Amino acid sequence: MENSAAALIGMGLAALGFAGSGVGLGTLFGKAIEAIARQPGAEAQVSKYIWIGMAFVEAIALYGLVVVFIIMSKG
Amino acid sequence: MTLISSAIASEAAQASAEPKMDPLHHFEVHKFVDLSLFGFDISISNSVLWMWIACGFAFLFFTQGIKGGKQVPGRLQSLVELGYLFVLEMAEDIIGKKDGRKFFPYIFTLFYFVLFCNLSGLLPGSFTPTSQIIITGTFASIIVGFALIFGFYNHGLHYLKFFVPSGIPVLLMPLMIPIEIISFLARPVSLSVRLFANMTAGHTMLAVMFFYVLTLPIFASWLPFGFTVVFTGVEIFIGFIQAYIFTILTCVYINDAIHMH
Amino acid sequence: MISVAYAAAEGQAKSAGVPQFEPSMFEHQIFWSVISFLILLYLLNKHVIPAINELLDVRAKKIEDDLNSAQAARQEAEKVQADLNNKMTSANKVASDVFEQARVEANLHREQALEELAVELEKKKSAAVEEIEVAKKKALADVQSVVVDVAIMATEKLIAKNVTKAVAGKMVEEALQDIEKNKANLH
Repeated sequence: MENSAAALIGMGLAALGFAGSGVGLGTLFGKAIEAIARQPGAEAQVSKYIWIGMAFVEAIALYGLVVVFIIMSKG
Repeated sequence: MTLISSAIASEAAQASAEPKMDPLHHFEVHKFVDLSLFGFDISISNSVLWMWIACGFAFLFFTQGIKGGKQVPGRLQSLVELGYLFVLEMAEDIIGKKDGRKFFPYIFTLFYFVLFCNLSGLLPGSFTPTSQIIITGTFASIIVGFALIFGFYNHGLHYLKFFVPSGIPVLLMPLMIPIEIISFLARPVSLSVRLFANMTAGHTMLAVMFFYVLTLPIFASWLPFGFTVVFTGVEIFIGFIQAYIFTILTCVYINDAIHMH
Repeated sequence: MISVAYAAAEGQAKSAGVPQFEPSMFEHQIFWSVISFLILLYLLNKHVIPAINELLDVRAKKIEDDLNSAQAARQEAEKVQADLNNKMTSANKVASDVFEQARVEANLHREQALEELAVELEKKKSAAVEEIEVAKKKALADVQSVVVDVAIMATEKLIAKNVTKAVAGKMVEEALQDIEKNKANLH
């Protein structure tokens, strides 16, 4: 019983990893918009990299989810 | 969707008990036919079945698209040509004109295999093969292993220089070389986990929402239902983006093996 | 549908784990994912990629040909235009030449006509002067004979005696000469 309670807490804590991804997404899009505002001609180029970068940053958050799964399968 | 069916199923299974949320239920693999070849398990499961269906869709999409081969393309043919040129451009941009052409069939197949596997999970009652870490892991390890072997084949033992960063003082080498090696070893892990986690997370989110659609009273259940509608669109987008990322990273790894940084 | 059936059949038999981390399900998925990939690779490589390549190549060639023929047509059109321009300028030149010549000729004609007219007028003038001269002389002679007659009559009446015609003429001649003399003196 104690084990499963600890597992639940651990899973909840692993979800905190999403915060980092949130900061990353904010920085990514903020900087991208800044770049486009500075140089509107580069919008196509920049937006291509936004989406690639977004996928990478999002994946970081999902590594936390994987940790949750690992705890889940152990608990 | 599977998600609905799984939610219904879990409810049906515990009709007497309190409905219990089980959002990972639809990721379960069930063997239909037990087969084995020289002691190796080659059973056919729902994962395998949907992999075939996805491959069939991909093949049908292309063969239907180029049927007739009109000089003035119709809608489907335009789409097929667009999809072809998209991957060709990606390969040629990253690997280079000549080598890109050489590896193009593999990259092309990989992209459409992953893309159709990603998208097949959005069909009602379906299964997402790419949400299985073992499948993404298989592809990722084959890709990275192939890149490693190809690098040694191309450059011989010079390929070991790949792990020595340039422009770094010799004193830092004992620190930097292990980091480079670890980051190389992390490649298949990050490549497979990225795809698997994205697919799993999206579908889990949908399953959670469908659970609330079915269990909440009618005046509140439209809210999660609307969310699932929106999120299905997001899932299509994510399916494309993740297939793109998976393929583009494959191109980058192959390029590393050919050109060494 | 299949998954519904299975879920219903198996119920909650599975333990609360993560289905993806179930090692007993790994082997066949590895096998079949590789096999499926290879089959798809074979199919696409055999039936799709060459077909699309050919399609795009043919189209590229066609577009190139079209562009070339368009270029040729354009050059042709430019040549025709240049020809036309040349013809136009030469025609303009010819027209202006003709016009100029006509103008010169017209001027020439006019001058000739004027000259002829002047000569004619001169001729007429001199003829008229001669005529006038003759008429004057004739008139003078007439006047002279009338004056002689008048003088004879006057003298007859004056002296009442016959003066012969010869004498009278002599006298009138003298008188006229006197008058002429006087006239010359007066002048």
